[in-house]
Amino acid sequence: MKNCTFLIALLFCAGSTASAFAQSDAEFAKANQEFAKGDFKEAIAGYEGLVRAGQWNANLFYDLGNAYFRTRDFGRAILNYERALALDRHHPEATANLQIARDESRALELQPTRVERYLQFASINQYSIAAAAAFWLGIFGIVALILARRRSTTLTLLSILCLLVCGMAAWAIRTLDNGSEGRGLAIVTGNDVQARLATADTANSVLALPPGSEIKILSTRGDWIYAALPNDLRGWIQTKSAEQVRL
Amino acid sequence: MHCRILLAIFAVVGTVQMACADSPSVTAVLSNSEATVGETVELQIKVTGPGDARPPEEISIDGLEIHSTGTSRQFEIHNFSTNSSVTYNYTILPLRAGRFTISPQTVRAGGKILRTPELALNVADAPGKAPTTTRPGRGAQNQTTSAGDLVFAELIVPKKTAYVGEIVPVQIRMGFDARVHPRLTEPPDITGQGFTAQKLQQSSQNLETINGRPFEVVTFKTAIAAARAGKFEIGPVKAKAQVVVPRRRNAPRSRSPFDLFDLDDPFSDPFFSNPFAQFGERRDIQISSEPVALEVKPLPPNAPPSFSGAIGSFTMATDAKPKSVQVGDPITVTTTISGRGNFDRVNAPLLEDDRGWHKYPPSSKFKQDDEVGISGTKTFETVVSPNENKQTLPVLAFSYFDPAKEQYVTLHSEPMAIAVQGGAAAPAVAAQPPSSSPPTAARGRSPGADSNKPQDILYQLTEPSRTVASFEPLYTRRGFWMGQSLPLAALFVFVGWKIRRARLEDREARRIGALQHEAAELMHKLRRDDASPREYYAEASRVVRLKAALASRNRGVDPNAVDAEAAAETFKLDTDSRDRLRRLFEQNDEWQYSGTHNGPGRISPENRRDVLELIENLK
Repeated sequence: MKNCTFLIALLFCAGSTASAFAQSDAEFAKANQEFAKGDFKEAIAGYEGLVRAGQWNANLFYDLGNAYFRTRDFGRAILNYERALALDRHHPEATANLQIARDESRALELQPTRVERYLQFASINQYSIAAAAAFWLGIFGIVALILARRRSTTLTLLSILCLLVCGMAAWAIRTLDNGSEGRGLAIVTGNDVQARLATADTANSVLALPPGSEIKILSTRGDWIYAALPNDLRGWIQTKSAEQVRL
Repeated sequence: MHCRILLAIFAVVGTVQMACADSPSVTAVLSNSEATVGETVELQIKVTGPGDARPPEEISIDGLEIHSTGTSRQFEIHNFSTNSSVTYNYTILPLRAGRFTISPQTVRAGGKILRTPELALNVADAPGKAPTTTRPGRGAQNQTTSAGDLVFAELIVPKKTAYVGEIVPVQIRMGFDARVHPRLTEPPDITGQGFTAQKLQQSSQNLETINGRPFEVVTFKTAIAAARAGKFEIGPVKAKAQVVVPRRRNAPRSRSPFDLFDLDDPFSDPFFSNPFAQFGERRDIQISSEPVALEVKPLPPNAPPSFSGAIGSFTMATDAKPKSVQVGDPITVTTTISGRGNFDRVNAPLLEDDRGWHKYPPSSKFKQDDEVGISGTKTFETVVSPNENKQTLPVLAFSYFDPAKEQYVTLHSEPMAIAVQGGAAAPAVAAQPPSSSPPTAARGRSPGADSNKPQDILYQLTEPSRTVASFEPLYTRRGFWMGQSLPLAALFVFVGWKIRRARLEDREARRIGALQHEAAELMHKLRRDDASPREYYAEASRVVRLKAALASRNRGVDPNAVDAEAAAETFKLDTDSRDRLRRLFEQNDEWQYSGTHNGPGRISPENRRDVLELIENLK
């Protein structure tokens, strides 16, 4: 009896998931049709609905970016291309269109440090897997050394090497996550955005930020964000003027 | 020894730093560019950099009386970087009204001849003294003293009228009787509304004689800017201090012999003339000055388009690099705005005609020449890129309001010739969009882009994705950490297996050790000559069994289960040795089962030697 109930529940879950996928596919196809017809606002509404439903994937953000590009909202276009690349860093279409959108809006970019540039040959997820694998290999090696009757030099060296790799991978994760393309990355979506010296509209301007410019959020105070800006500057901008890349 | 090495390193580093320090430079500022006849103005000439400096010997200007009032030196070390400066102070007393120009003065420093910038001073006729002074003294009407005339405060505002946003320098002088050991517990604060004040900077501390009494006078400098038009009261300045005063006594105090005129001078107390006559007490006092009236006028209407709120007196210089570029290449235009005024409202100059140009947001840096940032130089770097062929850079315009002239002034940069190559002023070309995309509106080209290159985004991706991705990095996901339980479980299994294996190995080792020990004991007994035949054969056969069990490849062999054949097989014995071994076991059985009386009472030495030889050769 219990087995029968479990089976029914499993089938119900599978059915629900399949139904949800079918529904999101239909909405995605509808939004694509709106885009093809030139009704970009409808297309944007469709894509945004899927984003709100949590159906996140690189192609969805890429298409949404294209729709915003057509409405000449370059800030949000760049934001969504960046999101597509955050989910799939090797998305060639998003990379190409991001460059075009940046050229159009003359958006400013944060310059990664030299260390970040070297570390970007792998993603944070790849570093995470490498760190975990190296950690466990190192731990197994150390345990084997502790329990062995005779100490093996090779095993000792291998264990140390594994732990070193684990430490370096953890450092790479931290550097990338706090870096210019890390979790603090946000895109200026408003027009005529000025970064200011203080949290007031009347405060002196530090830098004018065209739509699509990259900033790195350092802290938030009320309706203001304190951010690292391009050209190694720092300033306050209003929260509504920028959106974080990572949802 | 180490100390000497360290000192030597510091000396070398210091010498290198001194040698590598910047070349000397000189700046000169006036405490106020406007004054009235009889009102003193301070002139400071600051020489920064290495080497001895020689100030101007004499500054002589008709209508101005200029006297040197001293020199102050500053020497700073920051992270092995040294920075020294000498400031020469002068007091200027205008003798008549007019506009005076203090010509560039020659200063020799570090083997170089430097010149100060030209300074202008506008002197008006004195309608009355503007500053409000509140000094101790019986005759002063505007006196505001406390704690028995031991302290005074005065707020000096050099102007009675100003414009909205205009920076007005302000001095606060706080005097303390030199004998009361003053300690400022709360710094002075300018109260009032309708204006903003900059951070107070302590400028100097001098000993002055006021009304015949020595006072320590601390001078603070700041600047205020009115936020709106109207009549304001600046101040009063309030501060708190602790001073040492004589203790209160019930008995009337004895008058000083010098207090002949019953002036009720607090300093006639014996405490001041003889500190040991009576101990003083430290008392908190509040100091405040008289407020100063300031009339703030609104800025006149019809400000030029490039006016951003700058008020003061400024000059502008412009430069651009490079001057020969391709279409779309960046040109950095450096604009330097120097002078005196509210630099926080000085924005980058505007391009008068920016058609055919793309302008990037400017960057700016400010170098102030005085303590409060009224005088200085603000440098803007603006990157512009030509979208088409151009022969000159666009003219830059910067406007400010000059309160002395009471009118707006617009400064223009000189037209700068440049050479732009690579392309006519072609409009941007819109690309033919892919079949799934509708046409795109024409857009401008990116700088440096090929003029014929189409610039359109790529096609839509219509293929739906079956997987839902996450922005969360892997290491922040719960699944990742749950997954670590697998290797953790494997680790526990591994540890358990290793421990069990070690225990088994230990048990076997202990068993082998015990067998070896027993064999050695028995061999020792066999070599002795005191055992009965029964015991001897029993022990000999036991040794054979032990040796066979130890030599067996199968470690779990029980010695009691080993017979003659098994032992012979274990040691791969030849026929003769097998027979001898068999005989040994048979004799043992015979002695064990047939009783002790069926043979001789002792073993012959030959038999003993034969058995020992057999056993010792079992390897």
